[in-house]
Amino acid sequence: MSASAILELRDVGKVFGDTVALEPTTLSIEEGSFVAIVGPSGCGKSTLFNVIAGLLEPDGGEVRLHDRPVTGATGHVGYMLQKDLLVPWRTVEDNITMAKRLTGRVSSAHRAEARRVARQYGLGDFLRHYPSALSGGMRQRVAFMRTLVTHQPLLLLDEPFGALDAQTRLEMQQWLLQVWKDTERTVLFITHDVDESIFLSDRVLVMSPRPGRVVADFVNPLARPRTVDTLTEPDFVVLKARIMHLLHGGTP
Amino acid sequence: MSVSDTNLASAPRRANRSSESVARKVARNVGVPVLSIVLLLVVWQAIVVGFHVAPYIAPRPYQAVLAVTQNWSTLWPLVLGTIRETVYGFVAGAALGISLGVIMAKVPVLQRLVYPVLVLSQAVPIIALAAPLVLILGFSVTPKVVIVAWIVFFPVTVNVLDGLSHVDQDLVNLARVYGAPRWRTFVQIEVPATATPLFSGLKIGATYAVTGAIIGELAASDGSSLALYQEHANTNLNTAAVYGTTMLMTVIGISWFLLVVGAEVFATPWQRRTVARRSWRRVADQSEGDSAR
Ligand SMILES: Nc1ncnc2c1ncn2[C@@H]1O[C@H](COP(=O)(O)OP(=O)(O)O)[C@@H](O)[C@H]1O
Ligand SMILES: [Mg+2]
Repeated sequence: MSASAILELRDVGKVFGDTVALEPTTLSIEEGSFVAIVGPSGCGKSTLFNVIAGLLEPDGGEVRLHDRPVTGATGHVGYMLQKDLLVPWRTVEDNITMAKRLTGRVSSAHRAEARRVARQYGLGDFLRHYPSALSGGMRQRVAFMRTLVTHQPLLLLDEPFGALDAQTRLEMQQWLLQVWKDTERTVLFITHDVDESIFLSDRVLVMSPRPGRVVADFVNPLARPRTVDTLTEPDFVVLKARIMHLLHGGTP
Repeated sequence: MSVSDTNLASAPRRANRSSESVARKVARNVGVPVLSIVLLLVVWQAIVVGFHVAPYIAPRPYQAVLAVTQNWSTLWPLVLGTIRETVYGFVAGAALGISLGVIMAKVPVLQRLVYPVLVLSQAVPIIALAAPLVLILGFSVTPKVVIVAWIVFFPVTVNVLDGLSHVDQDLVNLARVYGAPRWRTFVQIEVPATATPLFSGLKIGATYAVTGAIIGELAASDGSSLALYQEHANTNLNTAAVYGTTMLMTVIGISWFLLVVGAEVFATPWQRRTVARRSWRRVADQSEGDSAR
């Protein structure tokens, strides 16, 4: 493997009954990169994540994190879904520290960190609020902070902004890029929104269903920082056209 | 409170109820129910007086109350007895109900095996249950407790089972991704997620608990009990005492129900509040965190 790869998949596949959710897939993710995975629903994106996270045992192959085998094991990635999965009976602060509470003790240092992160990213006034008091965008940010404070170097984000309206989503994308830059994590980001996949990423993996597989792997040429203008640059439009072509049944 | 530190926040939902004054809250939550009870008594009085109903058919409200207060020294121990049967039976039934619900949720085979038996248990007429219980347990407090528990456990089991089987599996999976052991996931995720259905079951149980205790007293008492006192008053055509005793039983039932509602309000603050109550731990932390800034 290359020296800078944080995650490696070797022939990892998953079949449910007679649905090939994920064909044996080999993949290497560079440390510190932002990789988008785009594809229509049912092409095995979530299955891929569940295998990496250890929720699903793959039928074959190996998952390696930092060059150590972690196939079928949990507790080594950050993980976030479209559903924010905040627990309604805990405050914002206690939701952020939830992972620590579930795996050990929440120290006052953990709580101080939760408050610091919340203040830094604009939720300092809501630490003692219950999630029901927050808007969708705020809830999604709390869910992301909860993922951040696990200090996992690899974050799996499964359509995290899929349920937000267009305006909030654009703001959240810029916010996410800021946090990614601040915290130097590796991000795998699932979306079915092509614009989103290009706007955020260093690299775009395109997946296709029946059988679920990666059909293309694009290096994103766009410079950072990304702004609203990025969306109209020629490179953006070219890459978007190529991805759209694949998503609508074209061959690479 | 401001959200000026961010341009992302759309306005959060505010607690409209917390802005309501305390006086209005009390008026709504206590005043209205009290008013409706007073109204009931007024209608009762009006009917009895208006239609010249004979006292041995139906007493006036104040006569019923007098029948209680004048015999309070006799009634008080009987009331205590009924309360004891209700509370013991309720606690036993709740404990049994919760245990069965948890076990059935966690062991699907047991669920299929036990569920029909539970349904069967509720089809047995409670009165028919009393005779064998007296044979086995005698005229002690125990058969009444058993009857109350028999009635209470069922709605608790059904609701706990239902609650536990509807816990969001994505949330359980998230805990797994964190590397949480199963017992912690159970305690921190599954149990609180079941709080609302659990309390629904407990509230249904609480409304039936006193009825169970009275049935037990009727069927399995050898002498002194509230139910037998009422039967005795009935035989003597002391209608005021009959009505008075009924009122007493109702008061015990309502009090117990309200106590369970109070426990729910206390145990599930997130249902009504937008901001958490202050706790010592938070206060200590907050000041330490702020001074570190
Ligand atoms: N637990 C499961 N049991 C059976 N089939 C599943 C399961 N999970 C996913 N699948 C199937 O595998 C395919 C890929 O699913 P998924 O990974 O969720 O797709 P995506 O996230 O890209 O929408 C779909 O056809 C889906 O129906
Ligand atoms: Mg999916």
